[in-house]
Amino acid sequence: MNRKVIFFLVSMAYLVIIMYGLYSVYNVEATLRIKEPPSVNPENRIAISHTELFGELERPQVVFYHKKHEDALKKDGESCNICHLANDENVVVFDFPKKVNKKDKTLVMNAYHDKCIECHKKKSRQNKKSGPVGCADCHRKELSAVKIEYPVFEFNFEYHDKHVKKLKEKIGKDDCGLCHHSYDITEEDEALALVYEKGTEESCYYCHEFGKKRGPELTAVTKAAEKKGLTVRKASHQQCLNCHLKYQEEYLKKGEKEACPTECVKCHTGKYKTVAELEKVPRPNRDQKDKPFINIENSRMKGVTFDHKSHEKYSKTCRSCHHETLNACDTCHSLTGKPEGNGINVANAYHNPFSGHSCSGCHNKKKEEKKCSGCHHNILAIDVDTMNPKKETCIACHSGKKDQLAMPKPLSTAGLDQKKVKNEIEIKALEKEFELSKFPHRDIIDKLVKVSNDSKMATYFHKNIQTLCEGCHHRSISEAEAQKDTPPNCRNCHMTAYDKQNLHKTRLLSAYHRQCLGCHEKMELEKGRKCKECHKEKTGVSAGITLMKNQNVVKQNSSKIINVWRPE
Amino acid sequence: MDRRTFLKIIGTGVAGATTGNLLRPERASASLGLSGREFYGILVDTTRCIGCRRCEKACAEVNGLPVPDISESKNESVLKKMRKTSDTEYTVINSYKTEKGTIFVPKRCMHCNQPGCAAACLVKAMKKRQTGQVTWDSNCIGCRLCMISCPFDIPKFEYGKAMPRIQKCNLCYDRYNKGELPGCVEVCPTQALVFGSRRQTLEEGKRRIAANPNKYIKHIYGEYEVGGTSHLYLSSVPFEQIGFRKDLGTRPYPEYSTGFLYAVPFIFVLWPIAMLGINRATKGNGKGKEEHHG
Repeated sequence: MNRKVIFFLVSMAYLVIIMYGLYSVYNVEATLRIKEPPSVNPENRIAISHTELFGELERPQVVFYHKKHEDALKKDGESCNICHLANDENVVVFDFPKKVNKKDKTLVMNAYHDKCIECHKKKSRQNKKSGPVGCADCHRKELSAVKIEYPVFEFNFEYHDKHVKKLKEKIGKDDCGLCHHSYDITEEDEALALVYEKGTEESCYYCHEFGKKRGPELTAVTKAAEKKGLTVRKASHQQCLNCHLKYQEEYLKKGEKEACPTECVKCHTGKYKTVAELEKVPRPNRDQKDKPFINIENSRMKGVTFDHKSHEKYSKTCRSCHHETLNACDTCHSLTGKPEGNGINVANAYHNPFSGHSCSGCHNKKKEEKKCSGCHHNILAIDVDTMNPKKETCIACHSGKKDQLAMPKPLSTAGLDQKKVKNEIEIKALEKEFELSKFPHRDIIDKLVKVSNDSKMATYFHKNIQTLCEGCHHRSISEAEAQKDTPPNCRNCHMTAYDKQNLHKTRLLSAYHRQCLGCHEKMELEKGRKCKECHKEKTGVSAGITLMKNQNVVKQNSSKIINVWRPE
Repeated sequence: MDRRTFLKIIGTGVAGATTGNLLRPERASASLGLSGREFYGILVDTTRCIGCRRCEKACAEVNGLPVPDISESKNESVLKKMRKTSDTEYTVINSYKTEKGTIFVPKRCMHCNQPGCAAACLVKAMKKRQTGQVTWDSNCIGCRLCMISCPFDIPKFEYGKAMPRIQKCNLCYDRYNKGELPGCVEVCPTQALVFGSRRQTLEEGKRRIAANPNKYIKHIYGEYEVGGTSHLYLSSVPFEQIGFRKDLGTRPYPEYSTGFLYAVPFIFVLWPIAMLGINRATKGNGKGKEEHHG
């Protein structure tokens, strides 16, 4: 073979290797940093970008001043349907551009351009104040990065109550059908498919929120809504605004300027009422029972009498327990789980410790409140699932007694034995550095009893005073200790030494600090947060930290550790 | 060209290609050193830290540094300003005001699995020990490359001394060899610091997050940052709010440079040969033939 060719091939191979080496060295992955555009005050503006359709935009997004246009058009005597589509029944569908295939880029773009510029031109021809027609006047560069987002409007019980009352004034009777409807999937004529039946009212989200539906029947209904593009957003704008537009004039004449708003920011205020603020507002009546007896057939547990009426006051919406349907729990959650209930069986529906819809989940949320979390932050919510709850815990709800909700007596400290339950305890853990810490045992008990008695829920669930002891003496078994007649000590479980094998074990020093400080911090107590409140400085001793020699640390063959590991 | 030259060239090429692959930086296994011994480290739970500064005092006592005054009145004024570690303070506590209240964050050397400082050190004074500690030695020449290479701004220079050296936390390497805990871990009153092998601390961190899903954010700082670190942090608020950098990426710092550095000799050897080859191939053929026959 020709020597020259061999030389050439070998050289080329080398070149390839070198190039590959250089490529792999310099081809360092770059970290991508995307800066979130700042969210600005909406001020009745709408950002038009349709990035879901156009992707990256050629020109900056258009910030549309809705209120300005609305006012200008109103002055000229025009109505909403100059821009928005009105269907046969004169119901305005708040959608723009009118009747355009929303998946065709050019059509959508042209629709915007034609419609806006055409109108602007027309107005200026009529010598009226008009909008811009040049590209950069709408596609303004300085507004390209702003994010205009409206906070979700919350139709709380107060609004609901107002609407019900106003409606009754207007038509003289309760007609929930004005807003609430259901969709009859079997009806072939679409105009007749929307029906209303008293007692079946549900939240808008039930049908108008797509994507998380359960059960075959509902899926069909949501599909019908999805076909029309009626998302919660669109459906509620259509439903609310049409009615508001209809009655706005009337209220303006009456001088009630705030009633029937159509301006964006009037509804999308971003302010939400708390549960406490809504407590006085009456809840909507849907023929619900005050104290239903929840008894699942063939279940292993006894039935529960549930005080529905008082629980209504503790939540902001019906949806917070009932999802969207406002049905009874067992309609969708059976003993073994049904597709309608997302396969969740009835036991988990009530007892899931983290769900916002379950009893346990909501009670756990309550326990995170300031007064409760002092003790309860240490008692893991997950314990409901992983450890067998005590019999008394179950019986608190599963009484099996119909219509009986006996409130237990408030706790009292009268029965406590002075000898066993000490008034003050001295803790010596840091005696080398500080004076002995004095722990006001009895005062703490009194305080906890008071906190417990102040809360209705706590009074119901803390049936006896031992329950409160378990807040600090968390792993003690009260029956066993009662027999042995010795109080449980922290050091029985918590060692002074550091356990290198079990990192989750809390050593004594840390157990004291975390128990005391954790509770004080969670209860937001001002007392007992500073070191010197418990630890008085020792006089005459230089306060050096004595590093304890640790007995528990496993000795490695330490003398030989001289090797060095370097990254290669 | 005779057979010997040809084989030589081919042999060098093959060797070059294989070493090229060997030299490409591989990610070292996260918690195991080459010998199979584990990296040790500290899990810092910022939700537990109460800002008592006992760790700072213990650190000073262990390392023979000026002992700080950690009385409560002093702490208040000290914690007001953001502090960095210095040549006399290997660990500092900073306080951050967040939506979940004041959070105290102990700051010290992260003891990276693949430390940038050790890779940058010219005289191998900075070392990654087989048990995870990043330590410094007395043969430091004071070039301060480690200070530049550290993503966490930890190594500090003794500017005040006549014979200055680099100083930083060494995870109490001497105490570790004696079988004792690092000073800070030993004295922490709330066990916000937990010492153990990286496998253990990572496990414990994950356990805490799983047991308190509402308390912690689901991220352990140092699990993957800059290729993993021996110091791991738990937090109840996003880490950027308590002074941690979120832009470091998961690529170990030495990897950014080792690839290039290893490529330098590689190119120096192979480039001339390649050029020579091309030269030989394109040069007039008469001379070469004569050599072969002669």
